[in-house]
Amino acid sequence: MPERQAERLTVALPKGRTLGETVALFRRGGMDLSEAIREESRRLAIDLKREGLRFIIVRPQDIPTYVEYGAADLGVVGKDVLLEQERDVYEPLDLKIGACRIVVAEPEARVGRQATHLRVATKYPRITERYFAGKGQQVEVIKLYGSIELAPLTGLADRIVDLVDTGATLREHGLVEVEEIARATARLIANRASLKTKYARISAIVEALRRAVNGEETGR
Amino acid sequence: MLPRGFQDLLPERAARLRHVETQLLAVFARWGFHPVVPPSLEYLDVLTAAGGRGLQAQMFKFADPLGGQLLAVRPDFTPQVARIAATRLREWPKPLRLCYAGPVVRDVEVHAARPREIFQAGCELIGLELPEADAEMIAIVLEALRGLGLQGFTIDIGQVEFLRGAFEELPLPPDARRLAEQAVMKKDRSALEELAATLDLTRAQRALLVSLPGLYGGPEVLDRARQLAGNPRSRAAVDNLEQVVRILEIYGLEGALTLDLGELRGFDYYTGIIFEGFVSGAGAALCGGGRYDRLLERYGPPSPATGFALDLERLLDALERQGALQPFAGSDVLIINLRPGKEEALSLARQLRAQGFAVARDIIKRSVQESIEYAARWRIPRVLVLGLEGVPEDEVVLFHTGEQGQRRVRLADIFREAEAWRRSGGGEGRWPTSS
Repeated sequence: MPERQAERLTVALPKGRTLGETVALFRRGGMDLSEAIREESRRLAIDLKREGLRFIIVRPQDIPTYVEYGAADLGVVGKDVLLEQERDVYEPLDLKIGACRIVVAEPEARVGRQATHLRVATKYPRITERYFAGKGQQVEVIKLYGSIELAPLTGLADRIVDLVDTGATLREHGLVEVEEIARATARLIANRASLKTKYARISAIVEALRRAVNGEETGR
Repeated sequence: MLPRGFQDLLPERAARLRHVETQLLAVFARWGFHPVVPPSLEYLDVLTAAGGRGLQAQMFKFADPLGGQLLAVRPDFTPQVARIAATRLREWPKPLRLCYAGPVVRDVEVHAARPREIFQAGCELIGLELPEADAEMIAIVLEALRGLGLQGFTIDIGQVEFLRGAFEELPLPPDARRLAEQAVMKKDRSALEELAATLDLTRAQRALLVSLPGLYGGPEVLDRARQLAGNPRSRAAVDNLEQVVRILEIYGLEGALTLDLGELRGFDYYTGIIFEGFVSGAGAALCGGGRYDRLLERYGPPSPATGFALDLERLLDALERQGALQPFAGSDVLIINLRPGKEEALSLARQLRAQGFAVARDIIKRSVQESIEYAARWRIPRVLVLGLEGVPEDEVVLFHTGEQGQRRVRLADIFREAEAWRRSGGGEGRWPTSS
């Protein structure tokens, strides 16, 4: 099989709240970059020469792009981003970290009221459109980039679709969850061509991470 | 400005595209394929008859100004070649070996430099149902890619009947089946495990469902697939795939193959073997193909068929990344005439061209120095000047661009001199000649 062992693999990891958990998971899978990250926390590319791996740390929303175009062979990204972007990548493993939910919420005072034409504010226009279209409901989607909870308070929207972790932020803003659209956890994703041309190495990494997810240690 | 996803190919890129296209068509011809040139437009019904809602949504459609019927720009050559084979060539003895090269247009979502016009070259082999026909398609692709100097590529082969059989064998309600198909396409084993937990499946059924995304790799995949799927449809698919692999072993090509029984992508009209070509470092497939035994019957008498298309620009990008293409080369020589009459200059140019050289004339009034700079910009390696002051009537002056100095050459000796100009490798700055 056409495998060139010497070739380096590039793995894209998400900046932000799940990075620590991701790095811990890779360490349990025998790929330890925690020291390199501690040494120089602002570095954007980290090489593990012995393992033949390069890690790049980029914004979560950009990870599917890196992987789809083959700039990275593998990536770690939340299912919410994958559902929103619908990229052509493989998703071989649920890493079961960074769990959260995508929900529909509305002001407590409005619950149960009918509306013929809903305005929904969200960071996830595609997920929102697909979800309401699936229910046969016509909605107007308002794309926002942050502080979605403010939209109903200011009269910009009737409802919101957003990611929730504990639900505390919703409660603070007088919002209640009315429907759950999806549960989202971090996924390992792979470029299609990489999986085909470097399948032995990539399979080995997927399996090492699968064992790590299931709580087994891998030594290297 | 151009519409998004459309582009001009400038001389360097255009020359390379033509070079690759010419090489591919030459390989196809050596395997006995004859070119057809279908029109760029078809009646919409002809293209929609090929099925596939995805591709239909991607077609550029409009009404014919003559009569108002709906037309579409071809998004794919295969339905056109199938139409030609089933109608215009229906009386011709089978097998038909037809090939083509040209653009297709697809209204794909444009993000990050994804083109809407795609240059393709491909083959269709019509009238043969045996695995040897599928193996021939894959062998042609491998020979063509090797011939172009590409390295580190693999052809990934699947068989759509395997998954279709597996989904028949598994008692999945329609919703679960749709979820399962999506998960298999994404190799999302976790989603299948979750799904399996919600369904009432036997142990064997559960094992089959969650193993579907992992059925890729080397020839060992065939045995694993046989152990997992007991239904005759999947079994037949595995046997068929194995036969194709055995024939490719006789060709000596097994080293460039991977297998994947969890693929169900490509066109809806595929009915058997499917394959894609990948090169390490390129994000997407360079080519795709497969068997389509039920397509011709939509246009005329039924006939089995198989074929493939290569994406020339992705191929060019991969070749460029690997440094497998010659640098851009301009004409062989630029002729500048300072004599009052044009006879000698035009005659010299004509005779050099007759010898197979690419000869450009300067024509503009400017200094010799400026003309040499022009030649350098266009990668023309030499400049011949007729009628330079102080040079005898029967001599010309030869400059090598990028080098100092000049040389006087007798006109009578030019053709002997020119023999040394013949290129060893041949650049891609012009149409490749027979050399």
